[in-house]
Amino acid sequence: MNDTFNLSRFGFLLKKSILERPIQIIGLTFLILGFTFFIYSAFLYFAGWGPAQNLSFIWGYIGGGIFLSSAVFGYFNTNASGSAYLTLPASALEKWLCGALITGAFFCLIFFGFYRLIDTAFVTAYHNGLDRNSPLYQKMYNAVHIFPFEGNIVRQSTIMFVNFTGIMLVGSLYFNKVAVVKAAIVACVLMGVIYLLNLTIANILFANVDIAFPFNNILIKVGKEAGSIELTPIASNFVDICFQYILPSILWITAYIRLREKEI
Amino acid sequence: MIQFDNLSFGYSRKKLLYKNLSLSIESGSIYGLLGKNGAGKSTLLKNMIGTLFPVEGNVMINGMNPKSRKPSFLQTIYYIAEDVYVPSLTIKQYHNLFSPFYPLFNEENFYKYLQELEVSVNGKLNKLSFGQQKKFVIAFALACNTKVLLMDEPTNGLDIPSKAQFRKLIASVMNDDRIIFISTHQIRDLENMIDNVIIVDNGKLLLHSSIATIADKLCFKTVSEIPADVKVLYSEKTLRGTSVVMENINSEDSGLNLEQLFNGVTENPVMAKQIFSSN
Repeated sequence: MNDTFNLSRFGFLLKKSILERPIQIIGLTFLILGFTFFIYSAFLYFAGWGPAQNLSFIWGYIGGGIFLSSAVFGYFNTNASGSAYLTLPASALEKWLCGALITGAFFCLIFFGFYRLIDTAFVTAYHNGLDRNSPLYQKMYNAVHIFPFEGNIVRQSTIMFVNFTGIMLVGSLYFNKVAVVKAAIVACVLMGVIYLLNLTIANILFANVDIAFPFNNILIKVGKEAGSIELTPIASNFVDICFQYILPSILWITAYIRLREKEI
Repeated sequence: MIQFDNLSFGYSRKKLLYKNLSLSIESGSIYGLLGKNGAGKSTLLKNMIGTLFPVEGNVMINGMNPKSRKPSFLQTIYYIAEDVYVPSLTIKQYHNLFSPFYPLFNEENFYKYLQELEVSVNGKLNKLSFGQQKKFVIAFALACNTKVLLMDEPTNGLDIPSKAQFRKLIASVMNDDRIIFISTHQIRDLENMIDNVIIVDNGKLLLHSSIATIADKLCFKTVSEIPADVKVLYSEKTLRGTSVVMENINSEDSGLNLEQLFNGVTENPVMAKQIFSSN
């Protein structure tokens, strides 16, 4: 028998993972979608199309991903459920893959599909509501577009999504209780330390440093004049690769290793 | 067969609970693991199922290492934790989702065990009482037909008729290929059920013996005066005299009293060792 991966066993495990805790997985997904719809509507009413589309996407995608990823391995808040999960006859790879698929594939597909659906509905309703005889019709029509999934916001959000969900997957395997809060605290502390360290190094190397947010540029302010020091293209590219591929890979692989060696 | 080879385990490396524990457990027996609260019973079970890893040494179960938690190993062993976990599912849904992982699962037996344990089959499992949940998990575990069955305080939360039914069920599912390992501090629940006793205290193995050997080595009786010329492992004043557990020098037949045996072994571990090591 294959102790690493077996397709039919994986199928059973995936089905079990989704249906065993319908509130945590399916319910949470619906809650995230509902929250996204609410944010979209609220910001559309109070702040206009730009903030509505951008913020609902960012909050729904990243925020939702964070909560869902902390729930997929959330079996360890009691000894009994943790033991039942760890001793279920499936390999660590299969268990990890279930969590990774639910968070990294299924959620993304559902979220992107839902987002496109509500966005299309809102934008179409707006376009249909315009007065075709108005001299401003074309201008007003062109002012609102369906949110593009190829844009920079989606790209940056995806980078944040893979990193934050990676942190939450690891955190939920390190902290048995209230993992989402504890992992978020650790992540914030870590980011704070990195920021301060970066700022300290920047202050040692340059004078009049205003902002030194990791890691692409340093903002320097002298009186009313401001300027920035950018990383070289090669270094900047390296930083991008780190955040896009290396760091998320490390985090997601760490989650697998941690799951394999998890004790309860 | 379960083999412990110089197993050392501790929740901190500096303070080990078990040190160099060596123990061999044969198939075809029901083992009672007895110990006080916090004696290390659950820890030992968790090392056997692979949810805790030894600091040194190893445990082998039917030639497999629990630490790797391979599916081929996990299919052959079932662990019932002290606090049972049941999801918000009906019995049928639970059966559909969990039984495919156990190739020897017997659906007919599962429903038979549920009926014998008088588990209500309607509604969601998490809405059942703790005792009902526990009985459900016991029925499921038995129906999985695994070679090794580890149970941590299985009778906690069971009412008196259910305890009797539990004993009957365990006896009925036992066969030569199986090992049933029951950890408890409710010693009386295991009487007339187990055929081997393991007593642990503070991470030390105080006794590992078959019921037959215990009956051979020890005599359980009530006396008016404690005999002076024999080793008395335990004595307790009762209304009818003094109940004693003493060395069985005259090869007397007496009924085993697990509670007195446990008290004797935990209070006088040195004497117990002397009695059980002598031929």
